[in-house]
Amino acid sequence: MAEEPESGLQLPPSTVADGDGPTEVSPGTVTPEPPSSAAVSPGTEEPAGDSKKKIDILLKAVGDTPIMKTKKWAVERTRTIQGLIDFIKKFLKLVASEQLFIYVNQSFAPSPDQEVGTLYECFGSDGKLVLHYCKSQAWG
Amino acid sequence: MEEDEFFGEKAFQHYCAEFIKHSQQIGDGWEWRTSKDCSDGYMCKTHFQIKNATMESGSRTSAHIQTCLPMEETIELPLDDSEVTQTTAATEVIRYEYHVLYSPSYQVPVLYFRASFLDGRPVALKDIWEGVHECYKTRLLQAPWDTVTQQEHPILGQPFFVLHPCKTSEFMAPALKHSQKINRDVNYITSWLSVVGPVVGLSLPLSYASAGSRDE
Repeated sequence: MAEEPESGLQLPPSTVADGDGPTEVSPGTVTPEPPSSAAVSPGTEEPAGDSKKKIDILLKAVGDTPIMKTKKWAVERTRTIQGLIDFIKKFLKLVASEQLFIYVNQSFAPSPDQEVGTLYECFGSDGKLVLHYCKSQAWG
Repeated sequence: MEEDEFFGEKAFQHYCAEFIKHSQQIGDGWEWRTSKDCSDGYMCKTHFQIKNATMESGSRTSAHIQTCLPMEETIELPLDDSEVTQTTAATEVIRYEYHVLYSPSYQVPVLYFRASFLDGRPVALKDIWEGVHECYKTRLLQAPWDTVTQQEHPILGQPFFVLHPCKTSEFMAPALKHSQKINRDVNYITSWLSVVGPVVGLSLPLSYASAGSRDE
């Protein structure tokens, strides 16, 4: 399966978390308009003294959901699922009424106010948290 | 079963049983009830919630009462505690009931719910919406009656609000197909409830996500 190389967009090049994949912060792969809510950073966050404040999240699309060009993100531990959902929706340019679900462990949707840091503690492995996302209309 | 879209009553009962097993392990309060003629059954849970949390300056224990199981002594505290007089009418305890039933016509589980004050007065739907998480509000407020209807509980015969099941198999399908692909048994009820629950104020603790997961 030809999958594009994951551009691990993390903190500014001075801080490299773990060296898997080139830390390219090429403007070409970044969203045209950076999300107003600095929910996740492809490098715009303040340089954290403690690099452990952010965790690596790998986003995978499920079903017919559009695949994000950038799949790997460094996210603050305190970011909520809702925040992440809003971010992905903006990134994918979904309208407000379209629903996006995020699943952990490939089957369970954490509640919207769940923090990604907690999810990372429970379900993270190999230094990252894998989350699946799915676009759908759950109701009506 | 071959077709994951086909979710029969047996599968429903099986997954509910597994779900309840975990619920008992963590004290989450879900129970199974059968109808009088025992031909079918459903899963239910009751929890209490403080409406309008302006209680930080009041009793210290109030923070724990949110969404806790019915334990009488902790419920009475905020109502009797004179420290809380400042909140007056804002301090209401609401009793939420959630029932998970099987819909033979849609062949999916359906979430029935209702809320009432402790004196038995029902909580209006618009007040229930206030408890709905922000991220669902836009969609729900646009067309609430498309998504929630009021119906008679098939077994109890009492009016409940129902989260409409017409889209359930649609949004469950990708997740189920995916788990099938990676050869992993997923508890349909857990997965489904984790998605629809928060819409009506019901959260599932994270431990459900890893409950019963077997080796791939």
